[in-house]
Amino acid sequence: MKKSLVGLMSLTVVFLLAMVLSGCGEKEQADAPKKAVENVIKIGFPIPLTGDIPDVGESSKNAAEMILKQVNEAGGLEVGGVKYKLQFIYDDNESKAESAVAATTKLITVDEVLAIIGPQASKQAVPAGGVADNYKTPMISPWSTNPNATLNRPYVFRGCFLDPFQGPVAANFVTDEFGATKAAVLYDIASDYPKGLAEYFKKAFEELHGPGSVVAFETFTTKDVDFSAQLTNIIRANPDVLFVPQYYNEVPLIVKQAGALGWDKPIMGSDSWGSGDLMGLCGDDCKGHFFSTHYAAAGATGATKDFIEGYQAVYGKTPDDVAALTWDSVNIMLQAIKDTGGLTGNLANDREAVKNALGAVTNFDGITGEMTFTPDGDPIKCAVVVKIDDEGQFSFYESVCP
Amino acid sequence: MHQTTSTASHPRGSLELVRRFFANVPLLAWFCGALVAVILERAVGLSMAQSLGMPRIPVLFGFLVFLKQPALIPGALGYVLLMNILPICITAKIGAPVFNLVSRILYKMPLVVTALVHLAVLYAVFHFWADVNAYRMIMLKMMLISILLTLSLNVINGYMGEFSCSHPGFMALGAYAASLFTVGLFVNDQLFGPAMMTSDYAVVFFPLGLFFTGLVSALGALVIAIPSFKTRGDYLAIISLAFTFIIKSVLENLEFLGGPRGLSGQPDWSSLPMVFIIVVFGVWVINNFVTSTMGKALNAVRDDEIAAEAMTVDTRKTKIIAFMFAAFWAGVAGGLFAHVLRFVNPSTFGIQKLAEVLAMVYFGGLNSVYGSIVGAVSISLLGEALRPLEILKWIIIPLLLILVMIFRPRGLISFKEFNIHNLLKPRG
Repeated sequence: MKKSLVGLMSLTVVFLLAMVLSGCGEKEQADAPKKAVENVIKIGFPIPLTGDIPDVGESSKNAAEMILKQVNEAGGLEVGGVKYKLQFIYDDNESKAESAVAATTKLITVDEVLAIIGPQASKQAVPAGGVADNYKTPMISPWSTNPNATLNRPYVFRGCFLDPFQGPVAANFVTDEFGATKAAVLYDIASDYPKGLAEYFKKAFEELHGPGSVVAFETFTTKDVDFSAQLTNIIRANPDVLFVPQYYNEVPLIVKQAGALGWDKPIMGSDSWGSGDLMGLCGDDCKGHFFSTHYAAAGATGATKDFIEGYQAVYGKTPDDVAALTWDSVNIMLQAIKDTGGLTGNLANDREAVKNALGAVTNFDGITGEMTFTPDGDPIKCAVVVKIDDEGQFSFYESVCP
Repeated sequence: MHQTTSTASHPRGSLELVRRFFANVPLLAWFCGALVAVILERAVGLSMAQSLGMPRIPVLFGFLVFLKQPALIPGALGYVLLMNILPICITAKIGAPVFNLVSRILYKMPLVVTALVHLAVLYAVFHFWADVNAYRMIMLKMMLISILLTLSLNVINGYMGEFSCSHPGFMALGAYAASLFTVGLFVNDQLFGPAMMTSDYAVVFFPLGLFFTGLVSALGALVIAIPSFKTRGDYLAIISLAFTFIIKSVLENLEFLGGPRGLSGQPDWSSLPMVFIIVVFGVWVINNFVTSTMGKALNAVRDDEIAAEAMTVDTRKTKIIAFMFAAFWAGVAGGLFAHVLRFVNPSTFGIQKLAEVLAMVYFGGLNSVYGSIVGAVSISLLGEALRPLEILKWIIIPLLLILVMIFRPRGLISFKEFNIHNLLKPRG
């Protein structure tokens, strides 16, 4: 008994000694490369890599990796005459509010990142924005449309336009394009984004055509798959156009069921149509319909074209709007870091400087349009309306600016 | 926990040996050892970590280092050994005679005093440990809250033996009621207008608010308790699941609570002392509840309802009280949760939350306060530590759960009474 105990103790001691020695050895080795990697800018990405919307996380990561490769291969980012290597740290927020808070806190306080890009969905961006603002770290949420994400938070910005802008864009477009005087809306009442957008559309449309011009305002609940009751009501009300601000996994079901019930008029969608594999799920049924979004992949020119081709070459698919918005958000953040005119190495001061530089960015030329931040941290930018053409491509139809 | 991690790789014989080696160490010594370790970490942790080749103190016992930077594994292991395991073990073992003396003196005093001294030391450990990094702080708060939540669910699923799925619903009621209370009264908010009261007395108002929050959840529990007179087992599970969905849909459709958009802007009142005191108080009350005659009545209802009825147990009263009591604490946990996140939305309290709480209860062990603590701590710690593994995490944790269910079908530590006297007594 006693013997094995002594053995155990001595083993531990030996193990420990070995540890300390190897640790010291490591330190000497580590000193040399440490100097070389001293000039690093770290940016954190609390994005949904697992959970409900892993596609969104993957797109964000893909776009970020492209920038990372581009900048680092060019020798790094030049800030105030010094070259900095970029380091991006991805942390899974599991599409949960509590994990988003934990991940953002970890990135800010453990990994000590200079800035945060993400989270994407509002239910994570709102609490994470609180954390970022609390620790005075600049954050851009590329995709969140909830006003509360940036409201009264000087350190939090977003990369996309808000629903109070997109709703009127859709209402004006259907009025001008189809001469619609009666519209119907079908949306998910249990989900933040569709509900908000449906209400803004209704308000804008009724301002144009008088109260009661939205003849059917039908709702369903997340994960419903049968919409025939609502669609029957809508068809009976005989509107000129149907507005469906839903996600790519619900749109095909709605469009197909509407077609089966005899709907042959146009359907208008929102930017949520553009993410994920809409055409793979929808096939021919979605062709000919329109939606408002951040950018159009087909027929793009200039920087947008380069981005799309580069993305396709690496990942083998067309970038969705999340990828495009993440691309712009990262670039605008890098621009702001450059605009600080030099980093001091004191994290708190640098974060403050980046925040101030972000607020001062004007007419940033992104692939989703020109962006200028309002004092609230929301961008002023244009929306585009795309048509799903006969080849199933999202082609540019018109651009609507505020 | 630490002494088991250090010996996990050794055969059973040496495990027994280690157990005997530390047999004369009282709980106070372990707590004081941990205190020494965290104070040591605060003082020299950073320079120690840097001399071991790491840029900063590993926050979660080196877990994040193991997964992300394999090159630093020896350093992180050494750090955990030098900063966490060894100080605790050495202080505990060498100080054992002294701590036994102190324990003996404390043991002669009223139990409340003894327990309070232990808790004060434990709080100090938490305080210093979490003070190193804000990430540790948020982890610790979440862990403490999940202990309360798990224990309250154990009252129904373990002690009363009903399979209830209504806990996310109770928690949601609590989270929204508490948010309504604080956001409505103390914060300038766009939904409810300007603040009606100043937040100077948060320390007083918040526990008071949580008490009413608990009462709201308890009222909600009547919806489940009354059908439970007629149904048991699977059918009650379905009813309680329906309850969770009803609460979620109602919250989604209530415009004045923000609908699916949720409520944000809660004041930062879930501080560590607040969470710690409320959770400890909750564990104490629940422990007293389940060891009282009422607790025995719960067990009687679980084992045989008809026999219990024949033995003069009022089964209806028992069920109503158990449901309302469990819901009360779930509501309090929800209120704390909302103020840690400072945001609530209905979709947080769905099936996923349910699976999480159930996993904690069944992993830790039914019918046991120890089990709930072990389950809540290990699942929340593992969940956070393995998060960098992304999709693999969702394979590893369920796999662990399956293994536990195969080898210990009722959970790790089930049907074990939480004996405070035994826990706090001097050992030699």
